[in-house]
Amino acid sequence: MASSILVIASRDLKRFWSYKFWLAGQVVMNVADIVIFGLLFNNMVNRSLIPDYIKFVTPGILSLALFISSFSIGREVGVELRREVTDYLLSLPVSRLELVLGRFVGGAFRGLIYQSGFLVLAMLLVGQPSPAAWLVIAYTSILLSLAMSGLSIALSTVTRDFNLQATIRSVVYYMLFFFSNIFYPTQVVSMRFGPLAPFVAYSPLSIATTLYRWGFGYLRDVDVVSNMLLLGVWTIVLLILSSVIYLRNLTRRG
Amino acid sequence: MRRVSVRGLLDLIHIIEWDLMKLKHQTLFVAMRTTWFILQVLVFGTTISMLVRYAQGFNYYDFYLLGVFTSLIYSVSIARGYEVADEFDEGIIEYHLALPVKRSTLALGRVLGGSISSFLFTLPMFIFIMILIQPGNWLWIPVSLVAIYLFSAGVVGMAITIVLSVKSTDATDILMGVIDALLIRLSTVFYPAPILAKIMPYYYSALINPVTSLSDFLRVLFLPEYVVYTSLPPQAQLAYIVGLAVGFSYLATYIVSRKLEAGGWR
Repeated sequence: MASSILVIASRDLKRFWSYKFWLAGQVVMNVADIVIFGLLFNNMVNRSLIPDYIKFVTPGILSLALFISSFSIGREVGVELRREVTDYLLSLPVSRLELVLGRFVGGAFRGLIYQSGFLVLAMLLVGQPSPAAWLVIAYTSILLSLAMSGLSIALSTVTRDFNLQATIRSVVYYMLFFFSNIFYPTQVVSMRFGPLAPFVAYSPLSIATTLYRWGFGYLRDVDVVSNMLLLGVWTIVLLILSSVIYLRNLTRRG
Repeated sequence: MRRVSVRGLLDLIHIIEWDLMKLKHQTLFVAMRTTWFILQVLVFGTTISMLVRYAQGFNYYDFYLLGVFTSLIYSVSIARGYEVADEFDEGIIEYHLALPVKRSTLALGRVLGGSISSFLFTLPMFIFIMILIQPGNWLWIPVSLVAIYLFSAGVVGMAITIVLSVKSTDATDILMGVIDALLIRLSTVFYPAPILAKIMPYYYSALINPVTSLSDFLRVLFLPEYVVYTSLPPQAQLAYIVGLAVGFSYLATYIVSRKLEAGGWR
């Protein structure tokens, strides 16, 4: 089973490199978020809320980079559905579960590889993690990339209309991105969202960002175990739901 | 001579219509794009504004509203470049070149059609921003709409020029990605000019950036008290926007008329 999953995943990973130009554009955008947006915004933020905006935002960009790259697989799955490549995929000598898991793992690989360069950047800009913190960072990256890859794949199969697919993905993308702590700290989230603040603080992107901030030494008082468990629950729920949706839509006609 | 001119005008209108018809089929897309723009302004904008402490009497949210609208009209206009790349991929450009229409008319029609489409696409978002800003002088609204349209025509012309010059999906992807990432961030969309001036290379880049010109021009019109946070005098900004529209429309026309041949898309 594991080898079939890896074969499917490696196919998706190979295809990822064919988008090297798209990737270059994404890298420029994410680096620009740190060295331009972060640097300039650092001169405008309230220092009592965020003493150093670059150190604050860099772990957030780690989440964002992983999220964008894992999410990229959804577009291809959507195109496959429109062009009926799914019939070819279903005819492969692998079980449907292996196919689905292989796609999720393929998306996750993309995220992990893309994020690795930004991990080095975070080490340089924020701080050097301890060996234990590296384990937490690795756990966070693996789970978040799997969850986002699954979510993106499932969303792309909801409709065959290409524009609608892109729009649904974008709406979910922005919802997750805006309702997270990537760009703003917990105090501001509490002030702005009031009773809804816990929903923002415990969204998958926020949990991952909090764990990265702890891992790179920006935050000290973090309940790491609870956050890790919660991220695990999110990932399991999202993967089960995504598998059900993807499997159902793979065989649906019209 | 007169008959030729009428024929040319009719051709131009048909080409513009072709771009507008595509917008007609995107009603749901426009509705959803409007929804998430409103979400961006109401959630991200209000939250990030709570972080900013810059100067006495400076309301970052108002500043941000006109900036974020500028980034929207820029993104929607530059997206025409991707559409042209798709058309090349699908052979539609070859079909257009084979039409009994003068190439200059074809190029101008695409620039005008693309910019009118982009302008109409963003109109609901502009109305929403105006409701939030509540302009003191309503006469500035038509002035701002003219500036927004001219800016859009310039960006569409730039997108068409780039795509038809490089004739490659990969090169289009990287160029558009890099231009998009840098133009928005190296402008006064999110930060006032004095903040940019703390890093001189960023400041000079922002000064020659058309995105800066439109966002600052809109601020001068609707938030006149924020003129101290803008980069250039409004006359210079407007001149830049007009120059952008005329310059890139001409360049797109030149590329289509003199350089473009069918095939060769990579």
